[in-house]
Amino acid sequence: MMKRHSDRRRRRKRDQGSVEMNLAAMLDMAFQLLTFFILTFRPAPIEGQLALNLPPPVPQTNVDPTLKFDKGNEDVLAMDTLYLNVVADTHGDVKEMKGKTNDMILEGRLDEENIQRLDRKLKSMFAEQQTTYDRIQIAVDGRLRYGELMKIIDVCHRQHLPDGTTMQKISFTEVEAGSTSSPK
Amino acid sequence: MSNNHYERVEPNLTPLLDMVFQLITFFMLVINFKGASLDLSLKLPVLGSARPLEKHGKLESMLLNIDADGVVKAGGREVDFEQYIEREARALRVELRLREEATTNGELPVHVVIRADRSAPFHLVNRVLKACQEQGYRQFALSAMSHEEKH
Repeated sequence: MMKRHSDRRRRRKRDQGSVEMNLAAMLDMAFQLLTFFILTFRPAPIEGQLALNLPPPVPQTNVDPTLKFDKGNEDVLAMDTLYLNVVADTHGDVKEMKGKTNDMILEGRLDEENIQRLDRKLKSMFAEQQTTYDRIQIAVDGRLRYGELMKIIDVCHRQHLPDGTTMQKISFTEVEAGSTSSPK
Repeated sequence: MSNNHYERVEPNLTPLLDMVFQLITFFMLVINFKGASLDLSLKLPVLGSARPLEKHGKLESMLLNIDADGVVKAGGREVDFEQYIEREARALRVELRLREEATTNGELPVHVVIRADRSAPFHLVNRVLKACQEQGYRQFALSAMSHEEKH
């Protein structure tokens, strides 16, 4: 009874000129758009960046460490550059890391243990009261894999300066394979 | 019973269309047009201290992908990196001149984003860095993953 009543009402409505859109065509188009977006969808990788200011390398002036400075030069001596020399093996892994005076900092591949050792070593160097480092320069063996270098940069970046900020001034120069002292 | 009387059955497509439009809206919002310039086949180094780069100014940074063999890709295609960097630097200088922005010591105020494969030897990456430095780029952003991706 009720159904018949509503059918009658619908028929009357249709007779009054109701307009019904054909949605099938629009749905086709919408599905095509959806297919396009699904096929081309590539979520952006979650990447980070390490910002570095890298001026072109300039020839280093060697300062005689035994040279006496008077009081007026104290500001010049206040900040220093920490030099690291990274030698790679034939596979592109770290073979050894040395300091400015060829003192051994690290030997062997950069595994988790050696990364922590390097971190501790750099922390102790930064904690030394005589020298205050404000930048790190890394002489890198050309064969070293980029990923290994980034691990070293990461450790350097974690070091804290006396003002509490982290190390930002990191630069690197390329050295000939096997060479330990001549930046290119 | 009459055969002439047929009840025409039409499914109601409106909810389906609504749902499809919602999906399209979602995909349109999350679509990443910059993704085309990223070489997703590269295995980036993993770095705990890597943070998303903060954008300063309106100038777009230059993005260079370097694979393990030292092949440089920019804008989704392989390029001769020296020519490409020179061309980009020249175009940037023209743009800066038009904007009447001065450069200090010829340094370009734009970041160079380096996306290099972790197994690329340093000398292959360094030649690209050097080419950028020669053209006046000083600010570099070395891309890395903040954690190892699971496949």
